[in-house]
Amino acid sequence: MRRISTTLLSPLLATLALLAGPLQAAPDAQQLLAASDSIRNPDKPFALTTTLTEYRKGKQVDSSALAIYSRADAKSGQFRSLLRFVAPVRDTGKLMLKNGNELWFHDPASKGTIRISPQQRLLGQAANGDVVTVNLSLDYRAEYSGEESIQDGEKQTRASQKLNLTANNPEVTYHRIELWLDAGNQRPLKAKFYSESNRLLKTAYYRKYQNELGRERPTETVIIDGLDPNWVTVMRFSDYAWKDVPESWLQRDYLPRFKPELD
Amino acid sequence: MKPIVKKTSMTIHHKVITAALPTGLLLPLLTSMAVASAAAPDGLDAPDLDALNLADSAPQQASERRDWQLFAELAAGSRDERGAGWQDEQRLSLDLTADVRLHEDWRAQLSNRLDLGWTGTPGGDHQVNTLREAYLSWQPAATQIYDLGRVNLRHGVALGFNPSDFFKAGALRSVTSLAPASLRENRLGTGLARGQWLWDGGSVSAVYAPKLGDTRSSAPLDADFGASNPRERGLLVLSQTFTDWLNPQWLLFTEAGQRPQFGLNLSLLATDASVLYVEYAGGQTASQIDRALGRPAAESFQSQLAAGFTQTFASKLSLTLEYQYSSAAPDAGEWRALQHAGQDYGRYRGWVGTMQALTTREALFAYASWPDFPLAKAELTAMLRHDLVDQSSLAWLQAQYHFERADLVVQWQYNHGDALSVYGALPARQSLHAFLRFHF
Repeated sequence: MRRISTTLLSPLLATLALLAGPLQAAPDAQQLLAASDSIRNPDKPFALTTTLTEYRKGKQVDSSALAIYSRADAKSGQFRSLLRFVAPVRDTGKLMLKNGNELWFHDPASKGTIRISPQQRLLGQAANGDVVTVNLSLDYRAEYSGEESIQDGEKQTRASQKLNLTANNPEVTYHRIELWLDAGNQRPLKAKFYSESNRLLKTAYYRKYQNELGRERPTETVIIDGLDPNWVTVMRFSDYAWKDVPESWLQRDYLPRFKPELD
Repeated sequence: MKPIVKKTSMTIHHKVITAALPTGLLLPLLTSMAVASAAAPDGLDAPDLDALNLADSAPQQASERRDWQLFAELAAGSRDERGAGWQDEQRLSLDLTADVRLHEDWRAQLSNRLDLGWTGTPGGDHQVNTLREAYLSWQPAATQIYDLGRVNLRHGVALGFNPSDFFKAGALRSVTSLAPASLRENRLGTGLARGQWLWDGGSVSAVYAPKLGDTRSSAPLDADFGASNPRERGLLVLSQTFTDWLNPQWLLFTEAGQRPQFGLNLSLLATDASVLYVEYAGGQTASQIDRALGRPAAESFQSQLAAGFTQTFASKLSLTLEYQYSSAAPDAGEWRALQHAGQDYGRYRGWVGTMQALTTREALFAYASWPDFPLAKAELTAMLRHDLVDQSSLAWLQAQYHFERADLVVQWQYNHGDALSVYGALPARQSLHAFLRFHF
């Protein structure tokens, strides 16, 4: 074997030391992820309205609105949410209860409450609407992937910290996520969601930060379909409020009873 | 630890260059590369930029929140009557639901539908008002609710046949579609008093429904408590969540003149895309034929069951297959005998229709729903009911298109089977209807 001369080795080691220097000080990826979760999700039970507008090839094809009531589960820490359809009129009053992969759908007209599978998108855009309140840090293992300068949702160049998230819960919809956080304050800026077969399913831009429930939170998420980039969904969040939905309401048999005070 | 150098074409290009460089130049070059790669902006892809520009111009959607919903349905169609040929018919329906919070703890709910049908032939017109619900709710605490009035109580996880839906008996007053959702929706509620108590992950409710009438009424505006409350009845429902996936519901139903019936509902998430369900009701009772004909008969333990699964495909197509069974319903021999029993056959069919029971011992049910097919905002729905005792079938197909405030719907139904079979005996061989539903 050929011996590597020290004259060649020393500058290389010095280079590596320079490169490795900032890496040793790399922040805890899981903490960064938790910090970003807390920006998207308030730490107490809350309510908000999500308006979804769907575009195909630049033309609006659909819109809907959901009132969402969420609280973190005392045991798992993951959010349990009640979603009530506000619009369109044909869907008004329909309800969905989401507790991880446990999904119940209630139609007040037929009085039926049925369990649905995560893939059963009874009301199309709900699949986007119900990803609003998810604590990623509970279901994903984060790896710090370094700093990158990216264009954020406001089309501004911004220094970001990139995290690679790998699902540690096989039941989640997205098996891998690339997440870019603002390097200065851990605000989520952009995310790419991948399937188990590593297919890009969605790209999301978190933008229009405003003060809501005590801190700056994104009030708009732009979602671009991974397979068809001409399919764009704009989600806007409004009517943030502290709402203490009792634990006992987050069950199937309460769905026919649920009527938010906001209505 | 991985270096912070992105795998871009620029990086590969750099590798080619550095291979030919003297080692002394390597250090400053690598350092500058590391800095450059961290600072180089990851420009927006064209689709991302387009999407963000689109979002910039997206209008603010104002969502109106209100306590009521009203829609009108204008329908026209034709039925291929056996022996009489195609008969035209038209219908106008007005459907109102309201849920008003009267006070912090009090709510009032109203649900009513008016169907006005005409055929252009003498005696062919009909007007039916269905007062589905009218009740008051009082919720003095988060975990207690009390109701008084007419309530459409519905239980059951199955899609095509609901053995545990004890209050379905006598509830149908005006059938405008055989779609399972329509049959569940457009029916009379029951006059009752109900209490429900909740805890974390569980609930119990108790229902008392007194006798409020003796006979059904065909008067157009009658509240028809004779149909909804012909006997004194009671129901206890208990639910408890054990795990995220195990959440059974137990029911105990009592009715004047009948032994108590037990019910169970259970549904499980089998995979990310499929749900399994089973619905059961059982208890001591006479056979359906004996009950329908009012014959005194020995009671024995009878079971009713609906078990199935719903699979949803990536294309959004959801397919449900369900097996249906009722030990109290006639088997093949009893059914053949009844088909030749003249008036008894007619009385039995009438009773089964009123009770929404299975006509014979076993049946299969398939239901497919395909939203956004064949184009966005459209929906194709198909249903097949197949009787396993006499091999007759009912096929039903529905195509819908959703406008912003309106739905255009076309329904086709075809009944196949021998003359006195479950579906072959229905008056129309086939029917075709179109309707426009407008949401106010």
